[in-house]
Amino acid sequence: MKNLLLLRKTILAAAFLTVFLFSGLSFYHSRHLKEPVVVGDGLLEVKKLSHYFPGLKGSINDANVYVLGKEKASEGEGAALVLGGSHPEEPAGRLASWLLVENARLEKGRLFVILTANPSASTSTRPGGAYPPDYEIPTPWGRQKFRQGDRWSNPLDQWPDPEVYIHYPSRQQLAYMDIRNQNRTWPGRPGGTMTEKTCYAMTQLIIKEKIDLVVDLHEAELQYPVISTIVAHQKGEDLAALASMMISSEEGFNIGVEYSPVALRGLSHREIGDHTPAVPLLLETPEPFLDATRGKTDRSLLLTGKDEFVMKAGRHGLLFEKLDENGWPIDVRVGRHLSSIIQIFKVWTELHPDRPIQVENLPRYAEVISRGTGYYLKNPALTPSGRLFYE
Amino acid sequence: MSPTQSAILILSVMVAAYVAAKLIKVSTELALFLAAVVGALAGGYGFPVRHLAEGAITYLDICLIFLTATLFMNLLKEAGGVAFAVRAILKKFHKRKSMLFLLLVFLLLVPGALTGAGSVTVLITGSLVAVVLKYMGLEETRVAAIIFLIAGLSAAAPPVSLWAMLTAAGINMPYVGFFLPLLVPCLLGALLTIFFLGRKARPVDIEKALAELPLPPEKMNWWRLGLPFAAFLVLVLAGRIFPFNFPILGLPLIFALTAAVTVLISPVRVNLWKISLATAEQLLPLVGTLTCVGVLVQVMTLTGVRGLISVSVVTLPATVVIASLFLTLPLSEAVLMWGAAPVLGVPLVLLFNTRGLDPVVALAGMSLIWPLGDALPPTAIIGRLTVDTVGVRDRYSSFLKMCLVPAIIIAVMGMLMVIFSKKLSFLAIF
Repeated sequence: MKNLLLLRKTILAAAFLTVFLFSGLSFYHSRHLKEPVVVGDGLLEVKKLSHYFPGLKGSINDANVYVLGKEKASEGEGAALVLGGSHPEEPAGRLASWLLVENARLEKGRLFVILTANPSASTSTRPGGAYPPDYEIPTPWGRQKFRQGDRWSNPLDQWPDPEVYIHYPSRQQLAYMDIRNQNRTWPGRPGGTMTEKTCYAMTQLIIKEKIDLVVDLHEAELQYPVISTIVAHQKGEDLAALASMMISSEEGFNIGVEYSPVALRGLSHREIGDHTPAVPLLLETPEPFLDATRGKTDRSLLLTGKDEFVMKAGRHGLLFEKLDENGWPIDVRVGRHLSSIIQIFKVWTELHPDRPIQVENLPRYAEVISRGTGYYLKNPALTPSGRLFYE
Repeated sequence: MSPTQSAILILSVMVAAYVAAKLIKVSTELALFLAAVVGALAGGYGFPVRHLAEGAITYLDICLIFLTATLFMNLLKEAGGVAFAVRAILKKFHKRKSMLFLLLVFLLLVPGALTGAGSVTVLITGSLVAVVLKYMGLEETRVAAIIFLIAGLSAAAPPVSLWAMLTAAGINMPYVGFFLPLLVPCLLGALLTIFFLGRKARPVDIEKALAELPLPPEKMNWWRLGLPFAAFLVLVLAGRIFPFNFPILGLPLIFALTAAVTVLISPVRVNLWKISLATAEQLLPLVGTLTCVGVLVQVMTLTGVRGLISVSVVTLPATVVIASLFLTLPLSEAVLMWGAAPVLGVPLVLLFNTRGLDPVVALAGMSLIWPLGDALPPTAIIGRLTVDTVGVRDRYSSFLKMCLVPAIIIAVMGMLMVIFSKKLSFLAIF
């Protein structure tokens, strides 16, 4: 009897160790996966976020800041900041910013791009969510792998959560885990949590670099009412409305405009506008992978956006965006972000000729759909080390 | 094979695996784990170690809260605090049934409301309240029903209501505005339960009761009893009042510190090591079930089974969905426990929101109904725990029958909150 108990305990311990070892390896590889970035001709320099707030030095969230522009940009020219990966589980935002850094050239003004605004959140996947650890984008030279990531900072980097999260400085009460949500911790604070410090560093960047315009790239589930839209702070209402009209008439897709609610705190489109001179806009594309009614949770759903169950919910009027058998492929979502950025900069320059931001060589919606996102990713194997960076 | 057919097949295989495991007397938590593994195999994912490990930590924080909160309450019990409180209440109120019921309701609601776990209520104050109720002439099944139902309501009561928290998190809705929509019906339901099931209670024979109840240590007093609770409140309130200056402790550490205060001021020497081990052993089935439910939910999400269930429920006509809440919510709880909140709660609240109902009040109403499923097989954890704690010798089905009338009242109350959520939205103020 005693031997039987010992045998049972040994078998269970061995089973636990097996799961522990192999899952541990998988988590380790995800966290340490290096994603190559081949910077284009338009790059001036790569800084770290800790350059703007030293308190972030040594932290996993000391993100790369890619600065694009001409060597001798005029003092009067404008400056914009594009944020990808505030929520890394929304891959179109990261991929669009990747294509910006690898392809764009600035004719006027300066462009700051952060590909992974919350690096910690890109290193974990959601417990219970069954996310794949990574996904691959096909390119002419092979496949490039990206981390899947989550909405919230990795608990390995920031834990525990309070029982209620109280936002700084508004004191609004928010869900406890949103203290790790980078789009609930703006404008951030120097003595706060890692996620709050990251937002504080970006707020400092916006102030010190005299950023005029901030574009925060996101995706949303189709059962969420804020979708396929530009969310604008009141300072950017005209800009967003005009950009929306231009996008509809010139780019081949429609995008709405929503105004940032004053009572909803911690979001980039609210706090950046309230706490810095910059105009913040947030872009949302549809991502069926995030819907609670989704079917099989895999890489295919993430990249094709095709799902029978979410479609069924749509037939019952439960969605705020259409979904048919064509799904929402990643190329469509990335293309929407890029064309939106192009038109926003164009309208901005028309409205503010004294602070122009003019970007060239950036693929548009129709081009990304026709050639694929991967067509615009550069081969890291053929790149000199000075032009190769890692996220 | 279409995604729907595939998900139905995988779900059938998982159910079959669970039933087979139960038939050969495998424990509930292991049966859930086996169902998850078989589901992953049927879905063509092999033995997905990453998903199994990730699912297992889904409710890690909740498990830590259970462990530390129960440790605190066990230490308080060992120090004589709980016995002291019950004896004092009996001495003061043994002639006043209504007042006694009110105090017992308070004793039963507090542990679950603070921890979000009905099991903590059953384990800590449940056993002593059971003694009092038995002295009032109530039979065991009736006592067990009172404790189980109020324990369920205590888990749904604010500040920590896990069903509401998990669902709110799933739809990016702040866990704000729930205090009154949860507190009012939970209090009302608890009072209705004790006054309905306890209507035949007689005044307590105080001499007999005091002779049988455990004697608290001589030096135990209200200060020693109140200080740990005061420490808990101070730590929670400090985080709320000075959120930008006070370090984030988290509920597990707050409960651990409260437990430390209990040890330090205990009038008798308590064996911390022994009580910690006993607490871990006591909670092992619960923590095991939560861990395995996490694994099951992860595999259901991976294979599309969760999507199938969610979409099947939310695409029913809204009136049918609301009319069947009294069945779907307890049944989902019986199988998934808190896992029911992300699987069913999220799409239901989204559905109600699109139909113009108030999501906060509607979710509070649903949170009232969910705990009723904790008495139903296959898991029935809190039901079994209550029956064991009270020492019911009758059949389990007689306990279920005793719960029936108040359970129907609670379910109707929850459904009315969903239907009239818009009109009740004035409650959602903090």
